[in-house]
Amino acid sequence: MRRFFGMVLFAVSVPLSMVLLSYGVYWIVGGFEHFTSWLGLPATYGAAIANVLVLMAGVVMTTAAALTVGERKWSAMIQNRIGPNRIKVFGLSVGGIFFLAADALKMLTKENIEPDKRSRVLYELAPMAAFAPSFVLFAVVPVGPPVDIQIGGVVHRIALHVASIDAGLLFVFGAASLAVYGTALAGWASNSKLAILGGVRASSQMISYEVSLGLSLVGSMMAYQSLRIEQMVQAQGHLLWGFLPALGFFLQPVGMLVFFVSAFAETKRAPFDLPEGESEIVGYFVEYPGMKFGMMFLAEFIEVVVLAAITSAIFFGGWHPVFFEQTLKEAVGEGTVWWAAICAGAFLAKVLLLCWLQLVIRWTLPRFRFDQVQKLCWKMLLPVTLVNVFLTGALILIDESLELLAVVGIVELVGMVLLTAAASRKGELPVTVHGAPAHAHAPAVH
Amino acid sequence: MPYQLRDDDADLRESMYFPEVIRGVGILMKQFLRNFFFGREKNPDILARDRSFSQNATLQYPEERVPYPPGYRGLHRLVPREDGRPRCVACYMCATVCPAQCIYIEAGEYPDDPIEKYPVKFVIDELRCVVCGFCVEACPKDAIRMDSGEHAPPSYTRAAQVWDEKRLLRGPPVSYQYDPWLRRGSPGIAAEKLAELRASAKPFPAGATDEYSQTPGFSVRTLAAEAKARGEKR
Repeated sequence: MRRFFGMVLFAVSVPLSMVLLSYGVYWIVGGFEHFTSWLGLPATYGAAIANVLVLMAGVVMTTAAALTVGERKWSAMIQNRIGPNRIKVFGLSVGGIFFLAADALKMLTKENIEPDKRSRVLYELAPMAAFAPSFVLFAVVPVGPPVDIQIGGVVHRIALHVASIDAGLLFVFGAASLAVYGTALAGWASNSKLAILGGVRASSQMISYEVSLGLSLVGSMMAYQSLRIEQMVQAQGHLLWGFLPALGFFLQPVGMLVFFVSAFAETKRAPFDLPEGESEIVGYFVEYPGMKFGMMFLAEFIEVVVLAAITSAIFFGGWHPVFFEQTLKEAVGEGTVWWAAICAGAFLAKVLLLCWLQLVIRWTLPRFRFDQVQKLCWKMLLPVTLVNVFLTGALILIDESLELLAVVGIVELVGMVLLTAAASRKGELPVTVHGAPAHAHAPAVH
Repeated sequence: MPYQLRDDDADLRESMYFPEVIRGVGILMKQFLRNFFFGREKNPDILARDRSFSQNATLQYPEERVPYPPGYRGLHRLVPREDGRPRCVACYMCATVCPAQCIYIEAGEYPDDPIEKYPVKFVIDELRCVVCGFCVEACPKDAIRMDSGEHAPPSYTRAAQVWDEKRLLRGPPVSYQYDPWLRRGSPGIAAEKLAELRASAKPFPAGATDEYSQTPGFSVRTLAAEAKARGEKR
């Protein structure tokens, strides 16, 4: 019971601590802005630098690193195990969080064994080429809404947003497809048959899924009439019929599903972990020791965080705290730092939730066979997303106010729910005589 | 056949992947939340743990151990008499029957006892032992038992796995009515104690049944139960 109340408290305190964290981040960003305008730099320079430092190097890296432990611990919970808990500081294992330090120490102190006939430059370049593109994706994700601050009589508009570029989503696609260089280079440069098999698998898989990844977001681009992610987020605050927020979740459920699957394939994690294929070929990073492997390992987790961030920005309302938004806005006052912090906290909480969802999916499904991966992409996702593009276009053409699109989207959602709920009992094991549940003999003693 | 495998073709709904995937994710989420909000019970009596909230079945091994079932052939022990000397009469039956030849005995004679021999050396190499239990069945005096309820503990050296009579002689003593030292008395046992032992001694065992080859209550399981009774929590 103690654990139950503790965990309820923990679950409640996560969004609250996210809000507090965002509040602190806004203050840091504002402070940097003050500093750079004192130095005489143009407006928002300091904010951008602070965002790079705090959001990308701080929030994303910390989340990704914590996910490496979180994955072990959460998978343990899924599989009725305990998970990592043997490193204790003062007798506390605190969810195995100290494994983070142990892992880093292990990676950094490992012997540097490298293949003899490697292509030296490309071999050294590959971990960076795998790491950087997935990392840089976060630059266009808006974490929090803009806040106006007065510095020396001039209004500076700062936001938790590293770069606001017109190309927005196109930048996402471009940077995401750069990530394939890292894997392909790692496979080729390490002069190993297994590694190149992994690299080739990675290339073909990622290039296939680029197509459906790009097409799945076309519907959202049309609906929100923008490529800038922050404008898409802003547009999702608009209410349909006066009560339903125009979330991508309602407008583009099919697009969301296809995007999520394609981006999942881009992260190269189970069930799409063919490039790694731990049980058959060890993967494109088989020849990489220590922290070079760690970079590729971490890149996967950063991709998980970035995918969660982009999904939540485009399909789940970004920094809009969706529930009780009006009440909160009136209580706190729009444009204040606290309101911005609540919004950014809501965004971070959504990102964490989606990271968790990805880990659950990763532990649900076994690996696809390679022909199944390609079939899923070319024969299923691509036709579906093409139909979705044309349907969305037609619906927006008929009804500019997006209400018809929302109706169709909700019908699609209901259809999906019904299909899932109509699960047959087919394939489940028949109850045998000795197949009694394992806890049946345990007496109810407390 | 453990269970029937159904290998039907996927119907349309199943070949759409997503409904079934969502359903599977739902099942795992349920399991996750269950283990997230409810920890596993830490009852030292492992068999009595309640798994209705969290189905977590992990045991933290060195600290928590599964009690072995009664009749488990554990580490050997030489059963002592009431006066602390071994019941063993150094007849070499166990050493002879041992298929792994891991028992070494040297016999000696007590100065105060004209009849009984005793083992000056009784050494079992636990690394060679195949835990067949033949020695227990061969023993005519019920002097060697495998009722300790524990397996051979790990060690860093081979020598530590060679158990001599000083380490083997342990556990509760056992008396039978036919034991010669009970019938004629022994210098190590006081007169009133002797009378008490004669009254409480077991009758002649008809065979090597579990009842006789096991010391009732001498097991790790009992230890765990006692720890629970004392209210120890780890």
